Amino acid sequence: MDSIISFRDVWKIYQMGEVEVPALRGITVDIKKGDFVAIIGASGSGKSTMMNLVGCLDTPSKGNISLKSQDIANLSESDLSTLRGKTIGFIFQQYNLIPHMTAYENVILPLELQEEDETIAEKRAKNVLALVGLKDKIHHLPSQLSGGQQQRVAIARCLVADPEIILADEPTGALDSVTGKEVLDMLEKIWKEEGKTVIMVTHDLHLAEYAHDIIELKDGKVVRMEKNNKQK
Amino acid sequence: MVRHSKLRSWLTILGIVIGVASVIAILSMGEGMQQSVSSQLGDLGGDILTISPGVSKAARFSGHGMGGGKLPSSGTIATAEEIVLDRIDLQALKGIPDIKLINPIIRANADVYFLAKKGSVSVTGVDPKVWSQITLNKIEDGRMLGPSDANVVVIGGRLSRDYFDKPIGINQMITINNMAFRVVGILDNEGSDVFMPLQSAYHVLDDKEIGIYDSFEIKIKNEEELDLAIENIERKLMNVRHVTEKNKDFSIYSSKETAERVAEMMGSMTMFLAAIAAVALLVGAVGIANTMFTSVLEKTKEIGIMKAVGARNKDIMMIFLLNSVLIALIGGAIGVIFGYLLSGLLPMLMGGASGVTGKLGSSTIVTMNSVVLSLSISVIIGTLSGVIPAYQASKLKPVDALRHE
Repeated sequence: MDSIISFRDVWKIYQMGEVEVPALRGITVDIKKGDFVAIIGASGSGKSTMMNLVGCLDTPSKGNISLKSQDIANLSESDLSTLRGKTIGFIFQQYNLIPHMTAYENVILPLELQEEDETIAEKRAKNVLALVGLKDKIHHLPSQLSGGQQQRVAIARCLVADPEIILADEPTGALDSVTGKEVLDMLEKIWKEEGKTVIMVTHDLHLAEYAHDIIELKDGKVVRMEKNNKQK
Repeated sequence: MVRHSKLRSWLTILGIVIGVASVIAILSMGEGMQQSVSSQLGDLGGDILTISPGVSKAARFSGHGMGGGKLPSSGTIATAEEIVLDRIDLQALKGIPDIKLINPIIRANADVYFLAKKGSVSVTGVDPKVWSQITLNKIEDGRMLGPSDANVVVIGGRLSRDYFDKPIGINQMITINNMAFRVVGILDNEGSDVFMPLQSAYHVLDDKEIGIYDSFEIKIKNEEELDLAIENIERKLMNVRHVTEKNKDFSIYSSKETAERVAEMMGSMTMFLAAIAAVALLVGAVGIANTMFTSVLEKTKEIGIMKAVGARNKDIMMIFLLNSVLIALIGGAIGVIFGYLLSGLLPMLMGGASGVTGKLGSSTIVTMNSVVLSLSISVIIGTLSGVIPAYQASKLKPVDALRHE
C-alpha cells in the first residue's frame, strides 16, 4: 500500500538564542495507509517535534515531508490548513477543546471551517458524539465534563471531518488508567472499523502495545522501527 | 469574543458609544443651527437693506453685535451727532435703478400716555406710503399705515397687550407728547414700538429735524443681485457725501449677509466641536484595538486549536475582524440612540445661554446623514483598529499557538 506520510531525511533545528538545537536529525520514515503507528521515546527525543511535522503544524528545517503524495513545502499556509482540516484529526493530551464552546460546537467547528452544508454538518456532529457515547451531553461546556468525557469530545471532533489520519499526542496522558484504557479502546475500534491511519505519540510503552508498528526516537533519530508482535 | 469577555467588551463598546453619541449630538446641534439660521434668513427678507449714518451706530443697529455691512478698513468711527442722512442722500438713492422702495426712518424714545398712565416707548416715523410694503412686521389686528394717514399709529403686540394695565385696542387713543393718536393696527410681534407717519413723528419727536433721517430701509428690485445693488448704493452715497472707502461715514447692512455670516460661524463652530467629538471616537477606536490585541494574546491557544482543526489564516482573520466590527457596530447603534437622546436634551442645557448661540442652539435636528455618517465611521474605525490584531492572530504558527498557555 502507498505511503500516506513519508519523511525523507527530515531535520528540525530550533534556534535557541545563538545556539542551534537539532530536535530531529535526518528522519526517514514511511507510514502506510491503515497503519496504527506508535511513535515512542523519552522526553527530548524529538517525538513532539515529529508529531507537529506529521500534523503539518510545523515545517521541517531540511528534508521533505509528503502527505498523500503532496510535498507540504509546496503548499501555502492556507492550503496546508485546509489539507490538515480534511486529512488529519488531532487528539491532544490536554484535549484542547475551546472552553467557551459546548461539546457540540467544538465538534462541529471543523466542518464549519470547511464550510460544509449545515444540515450535513449537524447530522455528522451528532452522529460522532453519539459514537463516543456523549449523546446526552452535547450542550455541555468542556468545564462541565470529566476529563474522559472531554477527551471523547476531542475524539468526536477529530472524527467529524472523516479524516484519513488520526494523530494522537499522549491521548491518555491526563487521564486515569481506567478512562485512559477506554479512550484507547475507542481509538483501536475506530482504527479497526473505519480503516483510519492512527499515529500515536507517547512515552508510555504500555500504550504503544496497542499499535501495529512502533517507531522509537532517541536524540532526534529513529533508533527502532518494527512491527509490534505483542499487539494487544 | 463579545460574548465571552463581557465586561471588557462592554467597556470597549462604551468608548464607541461616547464617541458616536457626541458626534450625533453635536451634528444635530449644528444642523439645528443651520436650519434656524436659514429660516431666519427667510424671515429677514433677503432683499431688504438698511443704511445708517456712521459706523458705530450701524454696528449697534444691526442688533447682532456683528457689525453691519462692510467695516471700513481704517476703523474711523464717526460720532452719530455729526453724521446724518439727509434729503440729498434720499434723492441720490432714488436715482439708483436697483432700488424698488425707500423708507426713510426716524426713531427716538418718547413718553406715551394711555388712560392717564405713562410709559416710555420707542417711536418710529416711517413713510406711510411704502412702510407696509417694506416692513417684515405682520398685522395682528386692524391695518397697516396707509398713504393718506395722519395722526394714527400702529403699535407693537406687547405694547397693546401687556404694557399698560388695560390692553390698548383698535381705535383707542394714545397720547404722545401732547398729541393724540388713534391706534389703527396692532402688530403680531413682541415689540412695544409705535409706528407713525414720518410727518407726525417730526412733530412729536422734539430733537428731530425735518429732512434729516436716522436710517433708510431699502427694498431692492432683484434679490439675486444683492451684492451688486449694495455696491451701487455704496458708490453713489460715497459720491454725494464726498467720502472715500477710507473715511466712509455710513453703513449698509444687509440682514441676509449677516445671517449668512452667522451661519458660516455656526458651521465652523460645529466643525470644531465635531472634531473634538471625533477625538472621542478615535479614543474609542484605540480601545477596540487594545481589546483586540489583548484578545489575540488571550486566545492564542484557541487560535492554535482552530488552526489544527483546519482554520485558514483568513478564517482567523475574519473572526477577529468581525469581532471588532461587531463591537463598533453595537457601540455605534447604542451611540446613535444616546446621541438622539442627548440631542433632545441639548436645547434644555443650552437654554441658559444667551445671545445668538442660545437662540440658535434651541433646536437640534438628528438627520439621517449624521446617523449614517457616524455609524459608518464607527464601522470603519472598528475594521481599521481590528486589522492589525486580526492579522497578527492569523499569522500565528499553529505549533507555537498550541504550545501557548
